[in-house]
Amino acid sequence: MSVATPYHDREAIFSFWPRHNETLLKRLESKDAWLSTKRGIEVSRVEDALEHEMTLNIGPQHPATHGVLRCVVKLDGERIEKCVLDIGYLHRGIEKLAESKTYQEFMPYTDRMDYLSPYANNVAWCMAVEKLANIEVPDRAQWIRMIMCELARISSHLLWLGVGLMDAGAVSVFLWTFQGREDLYNIFDEVSGARFTVSHSRIGGLATDLGPTAITMIKDFVTSYEEIIKGWQKLLNRNRIWIDRNKDVGVINKEEAIELGLTGPNLRGSGVPYDIRIFEPYLKYDEVDFTIPLREEGDCLARYHIRMEEMLESIKIINQCLDRLPEGPIRTDDAKKAYPSKDEVYYSMEGMIHDFMYTETGVTPPKGAVAYHAIESPKGELGFYLESDGTGCPWRARLNAPSFTNLQGLESMMEGHPVADIVVLIGSIDPVMGEADR
Amino acid sequence: MPETLPFHFTPVDEARADEKNVHEKASTNVADTIETLKKQFPGSITEVSVYAGEYTAFVKRDSLLQVCTALKETLGFVYLADLAGVDRFREDAPRYEVYYCMVNLETNKRLRLKVLVDEEDAVVPSLIGLFKAADWNERECYDMLGIRFEGHPDLRRMYMPEDFEYHPQRKEFPLLGIPGSLPLPPRTPEGELTMDPFAAAHSGSPAKSYQEPEGE
Repeated sequence: MSVATPYHDREAIFSFWPRHNETLLKRLESKDAWLSTKRGIEVSRVEDALEHEMTLNIGPQHPATHGVLRCVVKLDGERIEKCVLDIGYLHRGIEKLAESKTYQEFMPYTDRMDYLSPYANNVAWCMAVEKLANIEVPDRAQWIRMIMCELARISSHLLWLGVGLMDAGAVSVFLWTFQGREDLYNIFDEVSGARFTVSHSRIGGLATDLGPTAITMIKDFVTSYEEIIKGWQKLLNRNRIWIDRNKDVGVINKEEAIELGLTGPNLRGSGVPYDIRIFEPYLKYDEVDFTIPLREEGDCLARYHIRMEEMLESIKIINQCLDRLPEGPIRTDDAKKAYPSKDEVYYSMEGMIHDFMYTETGVTPPKGAVAYHAIESPKGELGFYLESDGTGCPWRARLNAPSFTNLQGLESMMEGHPVADIVVLIGSIDPVMGEADR
Repeated sequence: MPETLPFHFTPVDEARADEKNVHEKASTNVADTIETLKKQFPGSITEVSVYAGEYTAFVKRDSLLQVCTALKETLGFVYLADLAGVDRFREDAPRYEVYYCMVNLETNKRLRLKVLVDEEDAVVPSLIGLFKAADWNERECYDMLGIRFEGHPDLRRMYMPEDFEYHPQRKEFPLLGIPGSLPLPPRTPEGELTMDPFAAAHSGSPAKSYQEPEGE
């Protein structure tokens, strides 16, 4: 009697997409090691008599991969020789979905892209549509958007810090940073009524104004967390274990970073001062005083320092925004371009009609209009390229996701590192699969 | 005599030329770069369109590599920010277009190139030799629209599994998907592969995730 054991009977190994795995493994064999070729490192291969070589499949369900990221690596002993990333396990086709939604209807989908900083995505989408349809946004709304975007940045970096440290073996920081995220959730809850997927920004402005409670909460948060973040820096900046795990790991120099198209803190960690907030200032970023942290080393430690300093810069920006927050409307007063206020809807016939019309058709940019608008999301350049055919739905909505480009760099970055560095490298790149997989 | 009230109903057909976009950025004003390109490669740029202060240069497919090499090496557009395809789905023009978003980090400029691609001959030269960043974007474009990139060493699908036979972002691909095109995991450990995730929508009966007990 023969018993089918799952590891020895090939028939018993269940596979969904045989051709997919076949091409993936073929790629692993044939892949040119881009980084080693570039740096002139000879991959000298002696006969593998001791059978040190091994193909290891990490993910898509590995907790340290920060989502459904699948890494197929070829190992020589403990060293990664080649790495192939396989993404798409969270592919929902939101670009296709956008083509059958009105511009405002698509907003909740953006929350679910980079789900660690939903507010930044909302703002990115709104600003792209506003550029496409030429909609002016009142000043107060712009300042509030800035505050909330920076809070989203802190929220995203807090998660990166906690999870990144947990990957390196320190669990307590994870709990501390999640306390911080909890405080931020409370702020988002107070502002928008939702803790996680906020959908608070609207085309042409915001859904609701900031109340006095929300402003007090934000003030409390920024005053207390400046000290707390500095405390974490004190803990980590000279921490032997943390430095040993990160220093000279995943080094990418300036030219390579540009060629690989890295964005956000990963690009700035390699010494390229490319930050959309400075490069093409949107909202009111040209009116506030802040610096963009920059490092030359290009390793995981540099990226760590950049993100920590960015959080402090964000606090600086929020403080300036709170000081300068003007009074005024929070949505543009044009029924063809933005939702009317609820007062108008409930107490006037025109308001009701406008509300219906806006939900039904929404904003209609002119036929043939194309626009690309990018913002500096916590992960990097988050851009939307929109094409209009004159109706209320976009003809083509393209999402330029920072995590996608960063993951592309990660593939090359992993070559030559021990397998234990995989989790640290993934953590330092800070990908979000919801965004990378679209 | 009552005054005739202007009533602008949607959709707006064309953009009005006199309208100034409030979100216009200085970084997208690349008229001089396009002029330089036109002088350097006469005839390669067929059309330049401007909307919201953004310049789009339509480049002939044959001269794309030349233009991009010049952009990268002499004009300083070293950073490829985005690359994607668009399904135009019109009768009067080529079916697809591929757009490239390039950034000059020194002079803070952003340039958009577009290449028109015929449906019968959907092949574009790959930029992977110039920008490593084009790798995954070109794979994605191939996956979603079926545009092939000549010279790409590894043109696999990006998101969909290799066994999938359609290109989902084409306009004719239905939003609900095509029944039976993608096998999904069985609902029970011993069950069959599920061939249609939206069976009910396609007038079939959906697979159940549990075994109903035998009749009582």
